[in-house]
Amino acid sequence: MKMVEVKNVSYSFDENTSVIGDVSFDVEKDEFVSLIGPSGCGKSTLLRIIAGLIKPSGGKVLYMGKKVEGTNNGMSFVFQDFALLPWLTNLENVKLGCSGLILSEKEAEKKSSVLLDNLGLTGFENSYPNVLSGGMKQRVGIARALVSNPRVLLMDEPFSSLDELTAETLRSDILYHLKNKNLPVNAVVMVTHNVEEAIELSDKVVILSKKPSKVSAVRTISLKRPRNKRGKDFLSMMDFVYATLAK
Amino acid sequence: MYSLGILGLALSLIVDTAFSWARMFAALAFSVVISLLVGIYAATHKTAEKIIIPLVDILQTLPILAFFPFAILIIVSAIPGALGINAAVVFLIITSMVWNIIFGVYESVKSLPKEYMELSRLYGLSRWDRLTKIQIPAAMPRVVEQSILSWSIGLFYLVTSEIFSTANAAYAVKTGIGAAIASPAITGNIISYSMAIGIFIIFVIATRFLFFKPWEDYVTRYTRNSGKKQSERQWPLNPGQIGTMGARFIRKIEKGNISRIVKVLPGMQNRQTAALTPNRPSRHETYWKFAPYIILFLAAALTLYTAVSNHALVLAEETVLTSLSFSFARIWLAFAISMCIGVPICVYTIFLTRHGSKYTLLFQIISSIPATILLPAIVSLLRSTPHSGELVASIVFVLSSIWYIIFSTLNTAKTMPQNIFEVKDIFRVKGWKAWKNIYLKAIIPGLVTGSVTAIAAEWNASIIAEYFTVGASVVSQVGTGIGKLLDLTLASNNLGLMMLALINLTVIIILINTFVWKRLYSKVSRAYA
Repeated sequence: MKMVEVKNVSYSFDENTSVIGDVSFDVEKDEFVSLIGPSGCGKSTLLRIIAGLIKPSGGKVLYMGKKVEGTNNGMSFVFQDFALLPWLTNLENVKLGCSGLILSEKEAEKKSSVLLDNLGLTGFENSYPNVLSGGMKQRVGIARALVSNPRVLLMDEPFSSLDELTAETLRSDILYHLKNKNLPVNAVVMVTHNVEEAIELSDKVVILSKKPSKVSAVRTISLKRPRNKRGKDFLSMMDFVYATLAK
Repeated sequence: MYSLGILGLALSLIVDTAFSWARMFAALAFSVVISLLVGIYAATHKTAEKIIIPLVDILQTLPILAFFPFAILIIVSAIPGALGINAAVVFLIITSMVWNIIFGVYESVKSLPKEYMELSRLYGLSRWDRLTKIQIPAAMPRVVEQSILSWSIGLFYLVTSEIFSTANAAYAVKTGIGAAIASPAITGNIISYSMAIGIFIIFVIATRFLFFKPWEDYVTRYTRNSGKKQSERQWPLNPGQIGTMGARFIRKIEKGNISRIVKVLPGMQNRQTAALTPNRPSRHETYWKFAPYIILFLAAALTLYTAVSNHALVLAEETVLTSLSFSFARIWLAFAISMCIGVPICVYTIFLTRHGSKYTLLFQIISSIPATILLPAIVSLLRSTPHSGELVASIVFVLSSIWYIIFSTLNTAKTMPQNIFEVKDIFRVKGWKAWKNIYLKAIIPGLVTGSVTAIAAEWNASIIAEYFTVGASVVSQVGTGIGKLLDLTLASNNLGLMMLALINLTVIIILINTFVWKRLYSKVSRAYA
């Protein structure tokens, strides 16, 4: 079953600067898809178009077969720079994620606090984001994105503001939560510029060309998890992605 | 014949406005030079910093206009005639313009990376080179930014002082827009009044686009998209013709080598330091801890002493305190009204239309039209209503405070995290939840900063809002008020009572700053860090 279908999406700021040329791909149920491409190819813009934050100049996006017009409850978003509101406590920030749902204050609070616990932030409910480290901030950001039980999780370079060690831990934590079905998330689309990260996490990699971007390759990655980053297959997959990007 | 009369009137109004503008430019030029010298000095000398910064902080919230009667008295007695009164007006405008520019210079020089100074030592730059190649160019973007704000504050002072001066023939400014509008409005000459306002507004807009816009583009040209070079094209005049210190300095610097390295930074920091403005007081909080207690102690000692020794002074103090409390109530009530109007306007322009930046220019222009220029019209409209004096004063207070609230809030909006909007959309935050969690909380720092200046502007306006005279006749007045008291003491030459009133006013403002605003500041800056 197709969760998300991107159909001939194009985007340009004005007549002269076309960013996204013509991009089409599908996201199947239970699939983790990475979007990878050179900088400036409109990866983040594309993700925002899927989310319904930005209107495409041409083409359309379908979510569960229905055209995306504006944001919806089924898809949630994790921001590169966390985008936590500094004046809300961590718990309130997560609770903000429930805004689109019809929930009592109490239920929202309980859900949010359970998620914060699951992501290892017990005890930080009532402090403000400014006391947290980068990795912890992103955990709050992820909790906020998950609290509404989205079916599709969109992540815009979620690990690139973190140092490598923190990113590594967070990646395996997220993978654990996603693959162990603790969460109702059916599909993930992640934008990244880190090839290794893409191959480590994804079931499918969509490689974009430089702007105006087109899909230059789609590769399914069927390597067994947990993946060995030094394994032969892993490395040859990396070679393939690098070679495609360099074209 | 009639059209000729209109033409003549227009010409004479243009001449009047030009005179006013000459005073403004003179004051701005002085202010920029003073700010550069004082600001850079404070930023580079530890001891000077400890004295200058707290002092400027106090001075910028004092209602300097209330000192105007006093300044006139002193300056005119030293320099008699038209020169004296003009000097007094220019001096007054400087005192309204200079403080925020000093802070701008101080903050941008203070936040220069240490590497620049190391660089200047490595290459053995002279003090002059350091000033002209590093410090001044680094400060210029904020000087311009603050000058725009200062200009509208200055216009308020200019018009108010010109209108004010007409009340007393001995101290009257002969040529000036404030003087020109006062009488036609009261005699009901709608044509010349509206023409005067029209010409004033044209001057305001022209100044914004022909002077500030190019100046801003010029000093910030390297902080914007460097690929496009658009600023050079937008510069309509040769920098030399404008004759600003800044432009000339920068042209010189362009030839230097170091400038290329320096070029990257100032504007970028600019935005960040603007965001930090509410935090500023925390830097020298220690001074503030002691200032109010010292003042309280002095005041207590003074009252005790005078109560024992001088019965007349006690009576005078009673008059002053009564006037002060009436004005206090009026001003805070008007402030509450301004908030009720200003907050929804801000939320609307920032969050609901998402075109806040487009409105900023509009607001900048509208806000440079001083509330006091409308005073004559308000007076003649309300003349027949009961308690018209109170009503007029309140309206002028609201008009003079609301722009500071709106302006400062829109300014902080520029530094708000931009993905707030995306967060709001993605998580579908709407209605009351959005107001509570996003809109109101996001604008609090801006509101706090704006409130301090808004209240100060109201105290300033009190001098004509509470007691408005044209020629020898009192057109509008409140029952009791500090502005009225100050005006009356000038008219009766009662220097002693005037001094006492000013001291009381200063004390109460410093106390409110310390116990209300500084606390709010530090609370906000802790929560929003």
